[in-house]
Amino acid sequence: MSWRYLVGLILALTAIAAATEEAGVSIRDAWVREAPPGATMMAGYMVLKNNTPRSQVLVAARSSGFGAVMIHRTVVKGGLTGMEHAPKIELLPNASLLFEPGGYHLMLLNPKRALHAGDRVDINLEFLGGLVIPVAYEVRK
Amino acid sequence: MMTTVVLAAMLGGVWLAAKYRENGSRAVLLPDQVMTLLPEPKPLTAFAFTDHENRVFDLSRLKGKWSFLFFGYTHCPDVCPTTLATLARAHESMAKSKAGAEDVQFVFISVDPNRDTAGKLRQYVTYFDASFLGVAGDDAELGKLAGQLGAVYQVEVKPGAENYPVYHTAAVFLVDPRARYHAVFAPPLDAEGISKRFEVLRELEGPRAT
Repeated sequence: MSWRYLVGLILALTAIAAATEEAGVSIRDAWVREAPPGATMMAGYMVLKNNTPRSQVLVAARSSGFGAVMIHRTVVKGGLTGMEHAPKIELLPNASLLFEPGGYHLMLLNPKRALHAGDRVDINLEFLGGLVIPVAYEVRK
Repeated sequence: MMTTVVLAAMLGGVWLAAKYRENGSRAVLLPDQVMTLLPEPKPLTAFAFTDHENRVFDLSRLKGKWSFLFFGYTHCPDVCPTTLATLARAHESMAKSKAGAEDVQFVFISVDPNRDTAGKLRQYVTYFDASFLGVAGDDAELGKLAGQLGAVYQVEVKPGAENYPVYHTAAVFLVDPRARYHAVFAPPLDAEGISKRFEVLRELEGPRAT
């Protein structure tokens, strides 16, 4: 075995390790609140876990099931509750981030079909660096 | 988990009852920060809305019932549905309580009357609970009631935009059967917390408030 071969092998293994690490964001408890009939806005929630030792930055969410998907955060300012667009959210190394009622949520505009409890909604989460994670959200009442 | 929540709610109620007996005065904010009682219930003055059945909803509609009021709008994806779902669960648990919920109403007040028509309000509020009422009025009337409750809202209209955010208070206001602003529940709201405290409050206030 030549040293060139060894270096090549090491580089290849490093690349595989890096790729695995890139996929190291896991999502659980992904759900969308069932909305009243005719509603044009819905919200999606989940728990994101960054399993890597580096920050991961969520930059977008896309779905063909809605007119648009935006990452929003419900904020309270001087007694007023409103929503703020969050253009990017950093997930700290090995940390979890909650998308929950009253906090971060995916704002789902103009659903293309009526969604009922038990239905499934597919949304892709996009991270800085090109990582895209497809997530299935369960519609719940 | 459930036991803890119920226990905490009961303790809150016991504390409230004890406070009343102690000196007959009202606490401004209970230590658990769920419900704030007004030092003196504040009689509300005239306003006029239209409910989702196109009937007049004015001060007289607040008399003879305990009213839970919440300001919101139907294009609100997070806080409004969460709050209405919580209030629906609170209503359910009040209905099962000894005193029942015959003398209780829940009113969703639109802060976005331009988009929230009676039809949209009906579809929206009755989805959460068939008994819920949706009401809307023009800015002047909305201001009259909101001002008395200290409720604030602000519509961030962007010209031509179909979707615009509305900032509003996320608190739930409790008006007693004499149409007096009596208490307020601050977010985060939980159904058991609201229904248990209301049960205790109604028992203590019943004869005086009706």
